[in-house]
Amino acid sequence: MLKIKHFIQQSWLLIVASFFFGLLIAVTNAALSPRIEQNKINKRNRLVGAMLPDAKNFVLLEAEIEIESIQGKKEKVEVYRAMSEAGECVGWSFNAAGSGFADKIELVVAVDKDFEKLAGFDVLVSNETPGFGDQIKYDYYKDQFKGAPAEELKLIPSGDPKKIDAEIVAISGATVSSESVVEIINNFLIQIKKQMPKKD
Amino acid sequence: MTDKSEVRTALYGQTLLAGLWRENPVFRLLLGMCPTLAVTAAVKPALTMGLCVIFVLVCSNIIVSLMRNLLKPHLRILMFTLTIATFVTIADLFLKAFQPEMSEVLGPYVPLIIVNCIIICRAEACASKNGLVVSVIDAVGMGVGFTLTLCVLAGVRELLATGAIFEIQILALLKGGGWFVPWAAMGMPVGAFITLGLMLGLVNVITKKDA
Repeated sequence: MLKIKHFIQQSWLLIVASFFFGLLIAVTNAALSPRIEQNKINKRNRLVGAMLPDAKNFVLLEAEIEIESIQGKKEKVEVYRAMSEAGECVGWSFNAAGSGFADKIELVVAVDKDFEKLAGFDVLVSNETPGFGDQIKYDYYKDQFKGAPAEELKLIPSGDPKKIDAEIVAISGATVSSESVVEIINNFLIQIKKQMPKKD
Repeated sequence: MTDKSEVRTALYGQTLLAGLWRENPVFRLLLGMCPTLAVTAAVKPALTMGLCVIFVLVCSNIIVSLMRNLLKPHLRILMFTLTIATFVTIADLFLKAFQPEMSEVLGPYVPLIIVNCIIICRAEACASKNGLVVSVIDAVGMGVGFTLTLCVLAGVRELLATGAIFEIQILALLKGGGWFVPWAAMGMPVGAFITLGLMLGLVNVITKKDA
């Protein structure tokens, strides 16, 4: 009994404060989480919308798709069906992640409706070297993926970036970053393509 | 470390000014080096980080000052951390909701404010020993001092790395027909260390003259 009394005497403030602060965070979170979710959706819509201009709505694909990451870990991937205003499927989008030169790279990738051609990719999160690796965000690099076939892509050290095919020209001075992007896209794209339910 | 009795007896004005220069958290106390080095590649994230720190510092100083007489000595650090973590989480949620882009740029450095030594130092050295008014003034002074320092550091780095300040182009880039070649290293960690080192040296030279 004495022990319990001592315990309460010492720690009542801590217990009360924990409850109070917990409540404060819960209320803030409840008030702001719809807005935070909306921000995420808006961002994806903006990025994917730029790659698939007809897309108006994104619907999560029900079929479960699981891929093996480059490090050999199993991951679930959320694939979204991009719908036009008329309700037709105009393409697909999914997030892909993997390690880059300095830190993790997270991409959003868009594919056309038949999963035959890439519609492009955009960078969600990256921390590549400014001036070199972060050129993966630049249009001249990203545009090489627009319309490229949705199959194994290959990185080549030099060539014409304007030519659209399965060969991606590396950024000079940032081979690792360019290679990471190609690797991440290859890994996700090929495994997802295999698991996509057949068209109805 | 802060001279405790001095803070206790200092006038409000002195408390406020202490954070700006005499006890500037970055230049004089050398606290909060992690955000100082990490988010000062450009002025905008530095300013956002500074404002977050001011918010957390003021809120945690208020709470700590209000409950200073109830604190058990051996549980005080736990209480400080709990208070700070709460307000940092709230600040993080607000950033995510209203400034999603800034939130992404700052990334883990917003949650890392929890372990920012400036805040726990002010809770320990000032708020847990002083009344509400002194604590708030101290928090504002320290917070503004920290923010201004971060902005100056970020201004120098952003100007040299991109030729712009606050994303407004000031130096004409060579690419656009001007003369300025962007100095990419200044945007990288190495630029942060060099700039901070030079500025610390400069501040030391100035304060030596004063004395």
